[in-house]
Amino acid sequence: MRTNSIQLRAKALVYAEVLLEACKVSDNVFAVAGEFDDLVKAVRGSLELRKALKDKTIPLEAKKALVTELFTGYAPELLATFNVMVEREDLGVLSRARETFNTLAEEALNAIFIEVTTAVSLDDELRQQIISKYSAQLGCGVLLREYVDPDLIGGIVLMAHGKRIDASVTSQLESARHVLSKASVM
Amino acid sequence: MKQKIRFAAKLSASLVAVSFALPTTLAFAAEEAEGGAVGIGLLIPKLGEFIPMLIGFIVLWAVLAKFAWPAFIGMIDKRAAKIKESLEKSEEARQESERLLEEHKAALTQAKKEASEIIAAAKQSAECVKAEITASAQNEAEIIIAKARHAIENEKKVAIAELQATAADMTISVARKVIGTDLSTAEHKRIIERYIAEAGSFNEN
Repeated sequence: MRTNSIQLRAKALVYAEVLLEACKVSDNVFAVAGEFDDLVKAVRGSLELRKALKDKTIPLEAKKALVTELFTGYAPELLATFNVMVEREDLGVLSRARETFNTLAEEALNAIFIEVTTAVSLDDELRQQIISKYSAQLGCGVLLREYVDPDLIGGIVLMAHGKRIDASVTSQLESARHVLSKASVM
Repeated sequence: MKQKIRFAAKLSASLVAVSFALPTTLAFAAEEAEGGAVGIGLLIPKLGEFIPMLIGFIVLWAVLAKFAWPAFIGMIDKRAAKIKESLEKSEEARQESERLLEEHKAALTQAKKEASEIIAAAKQSAECVKAEITASAQNEAEIIIAKARHAIENEKKVAIAELQATAADMTISVARKVIGTDLSTAEHKRIIERYIAEAGSFNEN
């Protein structure tokens, strides 16, 4: 079991390093990191896609065509790496490869990737406020990966290295709802 | 007693003899009267007739005394002994009856006493059982009441909690709709700025 885990980690590291080197050449490490996250979320969220990619009766060329069609606009380096994973039936290390790539990318760029989710798009002033605050806190550069989610209603949600700071109106309302429902009645 | 009986027997035998001889004497006297005697002479027998009669009487008496009386006396004695024995047996039976009666009376008294004790014990036991049943019933009633109160209290709490949750959900839902529709871009920005300022650090645990 331990040996298997080590092997998977080693495989993930190989994929991450190859992708990182390719991205360095084209100087789009941060963008590919974001696309890698999206790709992993898409694969995780679709059972049909996972089944299709693992189905041995489907020709490899058809699988590659499907990937290209689904992830149009994604970096060619990322799609090439992903196709190799599909070809070698290594989709099991996809998430681990993404995490390893993020770590390597952060080291390469000397920055922390922070996912920022808001109800409306950030403007430059807000971006700068966030970067300033967390650069000072973390002692390194900060690169923001922005997402818009109207369900937040307002406020902001920050995620980095598996840690989450939820300062959204939705979470405030949820806390208020919890307090109201648990409040004692005299 | 035995002597008295013997005397009575002899006396009765004499009377029998007399009664046997007297009619004969009277018969002789009647014949003499018919022959010419009158007055007291009718009652006094003639010596020539009296002697043989006396001898006959004595002979008869002797015969009877020798043979009849002993048998008669023996029979009387046997009868007396039998009666005595019967009397003694009767006395013994009476005494036995009295003893049995006393025993029965004692047994009855004992039985009455035991019955009284049993009844008293039964009453006491019944009182104890009654007290136990009453206490048990009261205890069970108290437990049932306590459980019922507890269940009611729980139901009340659940109902209140559901009511609170529903009210909270409605309140938050309304707030969510109001805030979501009423926030302008500038307000969004102010909120984000404020939350960025208030938000914690990734270095915190």
